[in-house]
Amino acid sequence: MNTNDTAPLRPHYDFGSIFKATKVFIDRYNEQHDRLTERLNANHRATAELITRLYAQQLNKAISLGEDVSTSLPGFKTFNPSLASCKGCTVRTIINHKERLKASGFIIKEIHRGKTGIELWINPQIFAPKKMSTHHVDMQPVLEQIQAVSEHKVKNLPPLVHEQQEQKNNNSSVDTLITPKKGVRLSAHSAKNNSVTGTGHEQDMNTRESRTSDSKKQTRGAKKSSQKESESAFLLQLVRDFWSYAKLVLFAELLLSEPEEKEILNNIWASVYRKFKIKGSKEDWKGYQDILYKRVDMVARYLERNPNRWIAPPHLYFHPENKRNGFNKTYEWFIRQELLKKSIRNQILIQNTEKEWEDHNQGKGRHKHKSRLQLFRIQQQRLSTFKDDALLRAYEKSLQRTLLKPATK
Amino acid sequence: MIVPNLANTALFKCIVYFHDGESRTFYSLDKSHKRAKPNEALGIRRLEKMLMIRFRGTWETAIIYENLPKGKEIAKYKNGIRVL
Repeated sequence: MNTNDTAPLRPHYDFGSIFKATKVFIDRYNEQHDRLTERLNANHRATAELITRLYAQQLNKAISLGEDVSTSLPGFKTFNPSLASCKGCTVRTIINHKERLKASGFIIKEIHRGKTGIELWINPQIFAPKKMSTHHVDMQPVLEQIQAVSEHKVKNLPPLVHEQQEQKNNNSSVDTLITPKKGVRLSAHSAKNNSVTGTGHEQDMNTRESRTSDSKKQTRGAKKSSQKESESAFLLQLVRDFWSYAKLVLFAELLLSEPEEKEILNNIWASVYRKFKIKGSKEDWKGYQDILYKRVDMVARYLERNPNRWIAPPHLYFHPENKRNGFNKTYEWFIRQELLKKSIRNQILIQNTEKEWEDHNQGKGRHKHKSRLQLFRIQQQRLSTFKDDALLRAYEKSLQRTLLKPATK
Repeated sequence: MIVPNLANTALFKCIVYFHDGESRTFYSLDKSHKRAKPNEALGIRRLEKMLMIRFRGTWETAIIYENLPKGKEIAKYKNGIRVL
């Protein structure tokens, strides 16, 4: 058949013929070598077939994309881990197999390209540059020639492993191990992606995906980001306000340069506001700010009471690691003060109720025309507005004291 | 800590005018340890400590500048009192 007569067809690498060529090549090599350490066993054969299959895929894809392979074939671009995952073995095994295949002449050249993987060139007996379409008929004379040579030279030994089983294993491992799912690192030889520059294409896909997701985030989060900015500006203003107030009240005579102030603000942000890690509304933060101002006032009163009292310089006073004499200790003061205030308020309220009962018993006061139950209801309602359990418990006790007294008498 | 080439690496310098008419320039040590990020406030504090403790009572005026050509004045001390 003269291919030059017909119109130039796209060359195509037929898997069947390539497999046959691979098999013949390996068989011939094995027949020439008797030592087991030199021979290619079933596993090497499987690796070789995997390489030929993937290489053929890459070449066919490249040809379909218009690449010219008539003069010289491009190398098989791949990664050791990709081959390992395709075959279901470790990277080291792939490296060992490649060594053996190189020794046998199946792989004629290997170039390591670092990040972009490795490039392999296969023996031209298996992969030869093609000008025109090659059917299995084209391969036949070559195969026959090889077979003829091998038959002449050595005995016809049985193959080491049964062919069918070998092929079955190869296929099963390949099919099951390729996982083109999202989030999983794609194998360089996924079924859908067969280009010669397999990895490049893959990376391109990845970058495109990440770009779209980025842009989505940007458009979706445009409002959110502006909101966040205004929120952070508000929170940082709280820090500045706090420092200006504290400086005015506690460190009035202190002169500070810009870097020093910056450091103090950072310390306040970290220690007093805990880097704003606790989420809260603006109102919550305003409430907290008021508490902080009260705490600063407490410190100022503490200093006023005795001239020998002192506080650390601001960079230490607001330092997050200062557990000994830092500003954070004033929170305990504040809590104690608030509890004290509450208990005093409760005492005053209870005293008032007791006074009312006394007046009521004597037929005096505002509630003299009301029954005992009505007075109790009025008092209970009034005290329940404070929403303080301790207060209600104290009220019960006081009732027992005041109302049970006359009965005992 | 021995710091080579301090005049070129320091963030601040302090020019001290002593009572005896001498004037000297000191450079700030801005790092808390060898590989630390330079801390401006630390450098200034250390210079101030030097003035107030080591050279206490021996100088009339001391000025801390940024260690740059035409660096601006950061702090100024007169007779042991900070005026800027």
